[in-house]
Amino acid sequence: MNLESHGWQAIQVNGLRVTFGDFVAIPNLSFVASYGEIHAVIGPNGAGKTTLLDVVTGKTRPRAGTVLLDGRIDLCRLTEPQIALAGVGRKFQKPSVFEALSVHENLELALRLRPRSILSELRGWADPRRAARVAEVLAEIGLADRADDPAGVLAHGQKQWLEIGMLLMQRPKLLMLDEPVAGMTDAETAHTADLVRRLRAPDRAILAIEHDMAFVEEIADRVTVLHEGAPIFEGQMTDARADARVRDVYLGRH
Amino acid sequence: MAVNGLFRVVAVALAALTLALPVLGGPFASTGFGISPYLANIIGQIATFALLAMALDLIWGFAGVLSLGHGLFFAMGGYLIAMHMLKAGYVQQGIVPDLMTFMGWTDLPSFWAFFESFPYALALILLLPGLVAFAYGWMSFRSRVSGVYFAIITQALTYVAMLLMFRNDTGFGGNNGMTGFSRLLGMPIGETSTAVWLATASTAATLAAFLLCGRLVASPFGRMLVAVRDDEARLRFLGYDPVWPKLAVWTLSGVLAAVAGALYVPQVGIINPRLLSPEVSIEIAVWVALGGRGTLSGAVIGAVVISALKFWLTGFAPDLWPFILSILVLVVVVGLPNGLTDLRLPCLTAMRRLRREP
Amino acid sequence: MTLLRLLVLLAVFAASPAVADRAALSAGLCAPSLGDQIAALGALAEAGATGGAEDARWAQAIVAAVEGRNLRCATDGVFIGEGEAALDAATLAPRPAPAKAAGPPVNNRLRAAAASAAAVLKLFTDFNPAVRAAAVGALERRREALNLTIVDAALANEPDAGVAAALEALRARLLLADAEPANRIAAIEAVAANATLRNRTLIAEALAGETDVAVQAAGAAALAQVDRSLALGRVLATLYSGLSYASVLLLAALGLAIIFGLMGVINLAQGEFIMIGAYAAWFVQNAIRTVAPGLLDWYLLAALPVSFLAAALVGLVMEALVLRRLYDRPLMTLLATWAVSLLLINLVRVTIGTQNLEFHQPFYVTGGVPILGDFIVTLNRLFAIVVAVAAFFGVVALLRFTTFGMNVRAVAQNRAMAGAAGIDARRTDRLAIALGSGLAGLAGVALAPLYNVNPNMGAGFIVDSFMVVVLGGVGSLAGAVVASFGIGQINVVMEPIYGAVAAKVVVLLLVIAFIQRRPEGLFAPKGRR
Repeated sequence: MNLESHGWQAIQVNGLRVTFGDFVAIPNLSFVASYGEIHAVIGPNGAGKTTLLDVVTGKTRPRAGTVLLDGRIDLCRLTEPQIALAGVGRKFQKPSVFEALSVHENLELALRLRPRSILSELRGWADPRRAARVAEVLAEIGLADRADDPAGVLAHGQKQWLEIGMLLMQRPKLLMLDEPVAGMTDAETAHTADLVRRLRAPDRAILAIEHDMAFVEEIADRVTVLHEGAPIFEGQMTDARADARVRDVYLGRH
Repeated sequence: MAVNGLFRVVAVALAALTLALPVLGGPFASTGFGISPYLANIIGQIATFALLAMALDLIWGFAGVLSLGHGLFFAMGGYLIAMHMLKAGYVQQGIVPDLMTFMGWTDLPSFWAFFESFPYALALILLLPGLVAFAYGWMSFRSRVSGVYFAIITQALTYVAMLLMFRNDTGFGGNNGMTGFSRLLGMPIGETSTAVWLATASTAATLAAFLLCGRLVASPFGRMLVAVRDDEARLRFLGYDPVWPKLAVWTLSGVLAAVAGALYVPQVGIINPRLLSPEVSIEIAVWVALGGRGTLSGAVIGAVVISALKFWLTGFAPDLWPFILSILVLVVVVGLPNGLTDLRLPCLTAMRRLRREP
Repeated sequence: MTLLRLLVLLAVFAASPAVADRAALSAGLCAPSLGDQIAALGALAEAGATGGAEDARWAQAIVAAVEGRNLRCATDGVFIGEGEAALDAATLAPRPAPAKAAGPPVNNRLRAAAASAAAVLKLFTDFNPAVRAAAVGALERRREALNLTIVDAALANEPDAGVAAALEALRARLLLADAEPANRIAAIEAVAANATLRNRTLIAEALAGETDVAVQAAGAAALAQVDRSLALGRVLATLYSGLSYASVLLLAALGLAIIFGLMGVINLAQGEFIMIGAYAAWFVQNAIRTVAPGLLDWYLLAALPVSFLAAALVGLVMEALVLRRLYDRPLMTLLATWAVSLLLINLVRVTIGTQNLEFHQPFYVTGGVPILGDFIVTLNRLFAIVVAVAAFFGVVALLRFTTFGMNVRAVAQNRAMAGAAGIDARRTDRLAIALGSGLAGLAGVALAPLYNVNPNMGAGFIVDSFMVVVLGGVGSLAGAVVASFGIGQINVVMEPIYGAVAAKVVVLLLVIAFIQRRPEGLFAPKGRR
C-alpha cells in the first residue's frame, strides 16, 4: 500500500490549540492537506497562519491537539530537525539562505542523503549523486550561472528561489511556504508561481500561506480561510470570493 | 584567491620560524642574525597567543558564537602544566612548592596526585578543558542560549573561576598562583636552551593547529559551521541539529586554548588568577576582531600584531597601553568591521597604483 | 553584712542636714572596726552620688585622702593632713590638727573599698567620658560596693550614650544579682524585654550561678524569647543589607535592561557609569565645600541630578561616537563598550588617581534606628534604597505615561513598524541610552556612602548586573526588580556562611540552571518569535 500518493491525507491537524500566555492564537483548529494538492491558507493578520506553520515545523508547541504526518507520525513529539527529516520542508517569510556560502554550497547542504547523523552525512559529502542533484536543481531554479557566488550577493527574488531550490533538494512530503511572493516584482511573482507549480508532485502536499490573492488563485487547488485561529471557509478560491463571511472578515477589505 | 594566499603566507612563516628557531636561537644565537633567548621567549609567547586567537576564531569567526571566557580554558591548561612542574619538582628533586610553605601544608592536596607524571598531566590538559567546554556548551546550545547571552555567561563563568582561584584554600596557590618551576620533561626552566625549545614547540603547535583548522574549515564541516553562523533556524529546518556541530567546534576550541595555555605558562614561569580576569578574555576577542573574524590567518595576524605592540609598548610606557588598546578596539570595531582584512583591498589598490606609476 | 551596715548608716544619715552629714560621714571613716570603715566609704560614695556636684567633689576629696593615707582621726574631728596645714574633713577649711593624730590603718580591703568609692565619684565629677567609662569598668568588677541608688543617680546624670549603655548593663547585673528570687525574676524579664546580644549575655551570666528553680525556669524562658528575637533581628538585618545591595543592582540593571531591550546592546561600561556617578558626587561635594561650606550636608542630594546628567552625557557621547554604527552587530558592541570601560577607568586613574575617595557623611546617612535585636536600619543603606525605589517608580512612570515611554515600547517591539508610524527610532535610542546611563550614575550616588569609590569599583557590580538582566529577562522592569532582589539576597545570605566567592558561584550556577528552562528570562514577553 502506498500511503504517499495523490489524494491521501498528508497532514491532519486535530483540535489544535495554541496560546501565548493569556493570548489564544489558535483556539481549536482541525484541517487536512492532501498529497498532490496545493493548499493555500489565507486570512487577515493575526489569523494564526504563521503560528500554524510554527506548530507543524516544531517551532511552537501546542497546548492541545495533534499534528499527524501520513496519519501516523505525531509531529508535536519531534524536534525541528526530526520533523525536517520526516519530510516537512519550510520556506520562511524572509528569504533565509546561508549568505556566506555559495549558491551550490547552499544546495549541497540542503540534501540529506544519510539522515541518521550529521557525521555520516559529512563523510559522504563527495557522493556523486549530490553533485548531480545540485546541478539539476540549479538549472531548475535558474541560478546555474550564479552557482559559485555567495548567496548574500543575490537579489531578493533570487534568494527566494534559492530557498525554494533548497527545499527541492530536500524532497519534502509536505512543503510549507510562508508568503513566498511577499516583496516580489510582478515578473518575479510569475517565475515563483511557475516554480511552485513545478513543485507539485503526487507524493507531495504543498501548504502555502499568502496575502496575494491573484497568486493564490493561480496556484492553489484548495483554500482554507482562517479567522482568529478558526477556519471559516474551505474549498475553491472562486467559491471563497463568493462566501459572505469570508468577504466580511477579509476579502471585503481589499 | 587572496585569502588562500594569505593562508599560505602565514603557514610558511610559521614553518620557517619553527625550523629557524632551534638553529638561529641555538648555535647562531650570538651571531648578527641570531635570535637571542629573550627574543625566542617572546616569539614563543606570541605563538601561544596566536594559537589562542585561532581557537577563538574557530568558534566566533566561523560558528558565530562569541566567547568572552576563553581565558578560562587558557588558564586551565596553564594551571595543569604548572601543577605538573611543581609536583614533579617536589617528587623528583625535593623542591617544596611555595604554596605548600605558604599554606603550611605538609603534603599537597589529594587532587595533586599523579601530577608528577607528564602523560597524566598532558591527558588532563586535553581532557579536562574539553570536558568543561562540552558540559557548558551542551547545556547552553541545547537550550539555545546564544549571542550576547552566551558571551556574557562565559565571561561570568571566567570571573567566578578567577574569584575561586584567588582563594588560598582551593589549593591552587591563591593570589600568588604558582611559580618557581624547576624542570619540564627534564629540561631546566629558565635556561637558554629550554627557552628556545619551548618557543619552537609553541610555533610548531601553532603551525599544526593552523593547518588542522585550515583543513577543518575548508571541509564540509566548515561549511556547516558557517551555515550555523548565518542562519541556525534554516539549518534546523533542513534536518540538521546545530547543537552537534557547535558543540564539536566549541569543545575543540576549548582544548586548543588549553594547549596554548600549557605552552605559555612554562615560558613565563608563573601563573596566577589574573589570567582569568575578564580583560584577558576580552583581549583575545580583540585580537580576532582586529585580525578579521572568519579567517584563520586573520586571527594569527591580529594576535601577533597586538601582542607584539604590547610587548614593545609596556617596555617603556606601561600606562599608555590601556589607552592604545581601547582606542584600537574602538577604531577597529567602528571603522573596520572585518578587521585588518578590510585594509587589504585599499592596500592592494594602492600598491598596484604605485607599480603603475613608478 | 556590709550591706546591712550600709543600710543602718543610711538610716542614720538620711534625715540629717548636709553639713552635719559631712561631719558624721567623715567620722565614720574613723570607726574602730574595718567593716564600719568600709561601710562609711560606701555611704560617702552614695552621699556624693545622691547629693549635688558639690557633695560629689567633697566626697572625692575625702576618699582621695583615705587613698593617700592623709586622713587623720582626732578626738575633736577628722582632719586631712597634719599640723598647721591640715584641713577639716567636714568643711575642707584650714584647721590645725592636733599632733600625733593617726589615720585609719589602710589595708588592702580598705584600699579596694576606697578605689570603688573613688570610681563612683568619678562618674559624677569627671568631664571625660573615657574616664567615666573606665570607672564603670572598674565598678563592674566590684559590684558589692554598689547599690541601685548610686547607679540610678549616675544614669540620670550621664550625658554620654556609650557610658550610659555600660551603666544600664551594670544596673541590670545588680538587679539580676538581687537576694530575693522574685526580684531576680522581675529583673530577668525586664532585661529580656530589650532583646540585644548584650542583654542575652547578661541573663546567661546571671543564670550560670543560679540555684533557685523558679528563677532558672524564668531565665530559660527569657533566653529562648531573646534568642527568637535575636534570630529574627539577624534575619531582618540580612534581608535589609541584601535589600540595599539589590537596590544598587537594580539601578544599574534597570539601565542595562532598557538599553538591551531597546537596542540589543549590552553595555559593558555600565559599571564605569556607576563610577562616573560616584565621582560626580565627589566633585559636587568638593564644589559645595569651597562655595558654600554651610550646605555641605546636602551635597548628596545635589549630586543626584548632577551624577545622572554626567553619566547620561558620557552615555550619549558613547552612543554618538560608537554605538550608533553598531546597532546591527550586537557582539561587536560588547567589545566596543568594553573598550569604553577600559578607557574610562584609565582616564580616571591617570587624572584623579587610584585611591579611594573620601566622602563626607551627612547626618542623614549616619547612624541608624535600632529596630529589633541587632537589626539596625542604617541610614546610609536606607538612602540607597530610597534613591533606587524613587528612580524605579520614576522610570515606570516615564515608560508608562509619557510619549517617550510609548516610543521606547514601540521601538523595542518592532523597530521597523515604529519607524513607519512616524517614531524617530534613533532619537528614542539616544534618549534611552541617556536614561539608562543616568540610572547607573544615580547608582553611583546611592552607593557613595556605602562602598569604596575608586576607578575599579565598576567591575564588582557589572557581573551581578548582567545576571540581573539575564535572569530578569530583556527589557522587563518587573523581572529586573525580582532578579536584582533575588541576586542581592543570595549574595548577602550566602556571604557570611560560605564567603563572597561562594555567593557569586551560586548566583552564576542558578542563572545557568535557570536559563536551561527559560532562555528568555523570568519575565520574557510571551509571543511568537
